[in-house]
Amino acid sequence: MTDAKTKIDETNQANDVVLYMKGTKEMPQCGFSSRVAGVLNYMGVDFADVNVLADEALRQGIKDYSDWPTIPQLYVKGEFVGGCDIITEMTLSGELDALFEDNGVTFDKDAANKIREANA
Amino acid sequence: MSRTQEIEERLRAAFQPSELLVRDDSERHRGHAGYQEGGESHYHVVIRSAVFEGKSRIAKHRAVHEALGKTLMAQIHALSLDLGT
Repeated sequence: MTDAKTKIDETNQANDVVLYMKGTKEMPQCGFSSRVAGVLNYMGVDFADVNVLADEALRQGIKDYSDWPTIPQLYVKGEFVGGCDIITEMTLSGELDALFEDNGVTFDKDAANKIREANA
Repeated sequence: MSRTQEIEERLRAAFQPSELLVRDDSERHRGHAGYQEGGESHYHVVIRSAVFEGKSRIAKHRAVHEALGKTLMAQIHALSLDLGT
């Protein structure tokens, strides 16, 4: 757990946006991870992807870290934002845009609006 | 008692919901990771409850995780939650 925690701390400090997921952003291995990675990719967000399937200690470690039982998990500036349901809701409500803006994370606003138009 | 019933009972007791839907989506995930014969692995849950008022999204989700308990949470492969805005 300590090793996993150190690794997570270091990853979150080195990257403004981190997605802990099953698979990679290019090849997600789970529908929920795929949805969140897809949103971030579509919005042109520069994010680090961490494949928890490649590291058993991390797979449990990230759940302990945030006291959150599921994967994917999104972190912005080291703060846990949520999993698939929360990120989806925040994307559609515009809260995710606001969070990125507040934290100086660049993204394509037109793409975000397109997601909302398509799901209106 | 089925797992679906147990989920419903726990959520009803914890949140006295004005609206509650516990849907077993397992068949839609046949062949995916975590699927098991007989279902009860993938759930979609909708809850509307006064208990959630004023709580953040994360706090609402945590409350549901807590109400279901660690054992039940570990048995469910995927849980999609709609807890209102």
